[in-house]
Amino acid sequence: MSDPVISTSSEPTAARSLAPMWILVLTLILLFLGAVYFDRHSGWFDQQVYSPYASAAMLDSYQPKSGAAAAAAQGKRVYEQVCGLCHGVDGLGKPGQAPPLAGSDWVIAKGHNRLAHIPLAGINGPITVGGKNWNLGMAAMGAALSDADLAAVLTYIRSSWGNQAGEVTADDIKTIRAGLVRPQPMSLDQLMAMPE
Amino acid sequence: MKNGFVIFLAAFAMIFTSWSAFVLGPQLQLGREKQVPVLNSTEVYPRSRHGEANQGLQVYRANGCAACHTEQVQQDGVACEVVLSSAGKNPAAISNLLATLNLRGLSQADAQAVSDKIAAGGGKVETHIVAVGPDIARGWGLRHSVAEDFLYDNVVQLGSLRIGPDLAGVGTRLPDANWQLLHLYAPKSVVKDSLMPPFRYLFETRKIGDAPSADALNLPQGFTPPAGYEVVPKPEAKELVAYLLSLHADVPLYDAPFTPVVVAKP
Repeated sequence: MSDPVISTSSEPTAARSLAPMWILVLTLILLFLGAVYFDRHSGWFDQQVYSPYASAAMLDSYQPKSGAAAAAAQGKRVYEQVCGLCHGVDGLGKPGQAPPLAGSDWVIAKGHNRLAHIPLAGINGPITVGGKNWNLGMAAMGAALSDADLAAVLTYIRSSWGNQAGEVTADDIKTIRAGLVRPQPMSLDQLMAMPE
Repeated sequence: MKNGFVIFLAAFAMIFTSWSAFVLGPQLQLGREKQVPVLNSTEVYPRSRHGEANQGLQVYRANGCAACHTEQVQQDGVACEVVLSSAGKNPAAISNLLATLNLRGLSQADAQAVSDKIAAGGGKVETHIVAVGPDIARGWGLRHSVAEDFLYDNVVQLGSLRIGPDLAGVGTRLPDANWQLLHLYAPKSVVKDSLMPPFRYLFETRKIGDAPSADALNLPQGFTPPAGYEVVPKPEAKELVAYLLSLHADVPLYDAPFTPVVVAKP
């Protein structure tokens, strides 16, 4: 018995062969579709863009731009920067510094004409707020504010801390500001002489 | 090993690709995340947690809460709502007009068209942005979860299975600490059909001393301890509740916009 002789003249080798053409084409088509989907939905790796927003531009277009919420936030910001130091962020005022705004008849009056004159021109001398007499001075803190900022802050104080009075618009402020002849601190009599 | 170098290169390319996609990419994209301003507000978000709530995150983790609860709100889309802010001089005409119009679930173009119609009638309107989706409809949040929500979470407890409800905004939804404690001690005492197991070992049932403890749970009929005993939360229970109440992932942000409803503070 003899074993069949295996030829050792050449070792078997793996032959290289081309992948079928249809696989290549399919891969390319899938890659292309993937790229199209990525382009439409990914926001290009922007860390702020999440589905369902497809791009930074789309996200931008959905930012709430105006409305009561924005005005209230603007009013709050200005109030805390300019008015809150003396009148308090809670609107309760500070003894010896500034009278309260929360529940003040001057703030929640039906009209806003007298109220708007106080920050625009300043006020001096005795005044009754919240059942107490105050004899202080306030500079024209609102004279340097823009119409929109002052309107927002007046709207804010008229609608915060339980106050429920109407809105003040930038146009209102514009009219009142234009009507001020000599912006000097007002006295109580001067304020009472003008329409509410 | 005739092709050793080629095999090495191929293996290296594979590992490098997955490392780039799963480690480097996210790090470049979100690694520098920091506090962001809240839309239309002077606040920043998120606030870091105080100590007890931070401990509570570890209690949450140790008890495997994330096995049944997620902390991620999904959002399918975004829609506009037209809200009347002032009826103007002719309220009757405006209300007739409103009855004929669809004011909710609009696209931006449709919302603009509706606003124009109402403005032509003399009314004043605001366009509100609202998030839309099943999670939002269930009341689990007002917007989708974003990376900032998890800025101070270590370890992040995203969760993937919703046997219980999502907890991303539970601090806003159920802000009562007492309710949370009752719910942990005996879920069925406050939610009749609750599937949640009671976490009694976070509480101590002990004999009432000279006077009942101020912390003792006020349990309803059928869940009360034996006479002369009271149930008080252990520190872990209080920490867990502090953590739950610190979950407020529902403020409007640039990357998750919606129109907040302003409620004037009393």
